[in-house]
Amino acid sequence: MVIDIATAELDQILANQAGLVAIGAGLAVGLAGLGSGLAEKDIGSAAVGAFTEKEELFGKGLIMTVIPETIVIFGFVIAIMMLL
Amino acid sequence: MLKPKQMSKVLLTGHKDVLEPTIETLHDLYTLHIEEYVGDDYFHIGTPLSGADEGSKKLLKLRSIASFLGIKKPYHKPISARQLSSELEGKLETLGDVVSGKLGRKSQIEADLKDVQTEIHEIEAFSGIPVDLDLCRGYNTLHVFAGTVMKGADVRAGLTGITDEYQFITGNTGVFILTVPVKYREQVAELLAEYGFGEVKIPAISGTPDDLINELTSRQDSLAKDLESLSSEIDSVKAEYEDFILASEELLSIETQKKETPLVIATSEHTFVIDGWIPDDEFETMRSRVEEATDNRVYATIVEEPVDEANVPIEYDNPKIVKPMEAVMNLYARPKYHEIDPTTFVFIAFPLFYGMILGDIGYGLILLGISLYGRSKLHGDGWNSLFTVLIYCNIVTLIFGILYAEFLGFPLAGLHGHPGLIPGWETITLFAGLGGEHITYPIHRTHLVTTLLVLTLLIGVIHINIGLIAGFRNVLVKHGMKAAVLEKIAWIILQVGIFLLLFGVMGVVPSMLPGAAIFVLAVIMLVAGEGGTAIIEIPSVLSNILSYSRLLAVGLSSIGIATAVNIMSGMMFESGGLFIVVAVIIFILGHGLNTALSIIAPGLHALRLQYVEFFTKFYEGGGRIYNPFGYKRIYTEE
Repeated sequence: MVIDIATAELDQILANQAGLVAIGAGLAVGLAGLGSGLAEKDIGSAAVGAFTEKEELFGKGLIMTVIPETIVIFGFVIAIMMLL
Repeated sequence: MLKPKQMSKVLLTGHKDVLEPTIETLHDLYTLHIEEYVGDDYFHIGTPLSGADEGSKKLLKLRSIASFLGIKKPYHKPISARQLSSELEGKLETLGDVVSGKLGRKSQIEADLKDVQTEIHEIEAFSGIPVDLDLCRGYNTLHVFAGTVMKGADVRAGLTGITDEYQFITGNTGVFILTVPVKYREQVAELLAEYGFGEVKIPAISGTPDDLINELTSRQDSLAKDLESLSSEIDSVKAEYEDFILASEELLSIETQKKETPLVIATSEHTFVIDGWIPDDEFETMRSRVEEATDNRVYATIVEEPVDEANVPIEYDNPKIVKPMEAVMNLYARPKYHEIDPTTFVFIAFPLFYGMILGDIGYGLILLGISLYGRSKLHGDGWNSLFTVLIYCNIVTLIFGILYAEFLGFPLAGLHGHPGLIPGWETITLFAGLGGEHITYPIHRTHLVTTLLVLTLLIGVIHINIGLIAGFRNVLVKHGMKAAVLEKIAWIILQVGIFLLLFGVMGVVPSMLPGAAIFVLAVIMLVAGEGGTAIIEIPSVLSNILSYSRLLAVGLSSIGIATAVNIMSGMMFESGGLFIVVAVIIFILGHGLNTALSIIAPGLHALRLQYVEFFTKFYEGGGRIYNPFGYKRIYTEE
């Protein structure tokens, strides 16, 4: 009987830990995504403005816009490492 | 292949008598990029050849006819230019007469229709009043008021205080006609003013309003019918002459282009000089053709002078299969003259990355079908390139789809007792991967994250270093060996240092010392080559390499969406009955959405890896567009 309770508690603790890791991974991707988004919104609108005036700037505009995207990739890598 | 076409600067000079055949020949050859002449002291800009005016006038007429008929640009079988030019004059004349007659009739009918509509609008106010409108004017002793008063005002009641000699008639719209003897005019006007009288003008026509409206409406209908029949006549003219208009527009554009060429070249009193660029391998053909056409009276020569990179027009020099990728390059920038043209690299890496990310047989087949259909239906260089690139991408997607054995997010092969879509196909474990994972066939991306993550980073290292080597070559050509080593090779050495350090931390290499030493050496080289700012750039090596993990990440998110759609529709399907319909709808809509995302997400991410991670290592771009003198015929042929 005593052993059963102990096993149940251990399961509980392990499940909790797994849940916390999942939340942490979610935060890592989610917050990093927010950061990317915040950075990209300004650059993106400026880039669209620039290349409507001068179409050749599309490529450069795209580059400038996606530079902060690396932030969310970092978040993703961290999340993967946490989950594994 | 890796370089733009080699260009020569050429000069053609000769007597003005042979200017016309020279222009004719150059136009046919379609290889010489003419540099526009901007006058100086001795030479001046030429005058158009004879007939240029007439040609432009015809062109103007034709274009106005085309715009009146609403001719768009569909693709037709080309017409023989020779035959067309012989019948152009007469046919254009007839067409002009036909169209101007129709145009006149059309505007007449439209004006009539407008008049009728205004009249109807004026008379409609009096509808329901059974009085001939002629009877409402022209009296000496009577005054007629016509109009409206505000709601609820009782005109009759008001009039009792003034006179009972009046006639008051209202119609359907609230407009009334009030007739009083002239002597009460002032008083009645005051009364009406109190009631908020708004005068309505009585139209100067005879007849009762209702009859008039009937008459005008039938006239309006007949005019509308006329207009309709005229439009169908115009449509038949359009159908009959469409080919002719498109072809002769092209023919005349070509004529005008030739006739106006002297406007961009240098001429003196008796001579002309054409200055331009031509691909090296085309020069001899051009010289012999021009000399032949002018009895050797034109002298063509290559100008041997140091080439200023910025002035050379750039023409890609790629095999046919790589050509469509030039559209992807143009989106960024054309290469400069002395630069490596990375189109071939992009041709390999872009579809590879796209396929790696998407890797699904179902989506691959759908998109392959769409792009094959699109390529057969939509013409024009832009569409053609776009769809061809998509075809390349989705062929690679199919290959990776077979490797991953995924179909619309369903695994085709069974794994760990979960059956796949194809019964009896079980996943085979091949050998151990990283982090306790096992590499299997087919590869289950969701079960092989660590190994694939490392693999994608490895692809990143390879891709970036190819870029650095290309950059080494570019800098070597431009600034010499020392700069090339300090600016490009240093980055490669830096990576070696970082990896040795990493191995040191992981214990693969016994000491961290060699790694640290190489790292410091690389940093010193970088600072020497690029200055202090290079130190700020150092972390970018890592972020660039890590960026390639999107090859896995974006793919996983696509699987995620597909799986969610499959689970939702699967649950609905099992409920049976009407839910089966809902399940089908969810399935179609969900996968439709994911198909659209499957063009955008892998496409944009694969593109970004080219533009940001790869191109920044070596590519500047910004070359001039090579725009040879000539015309790409669509509707006519010689």
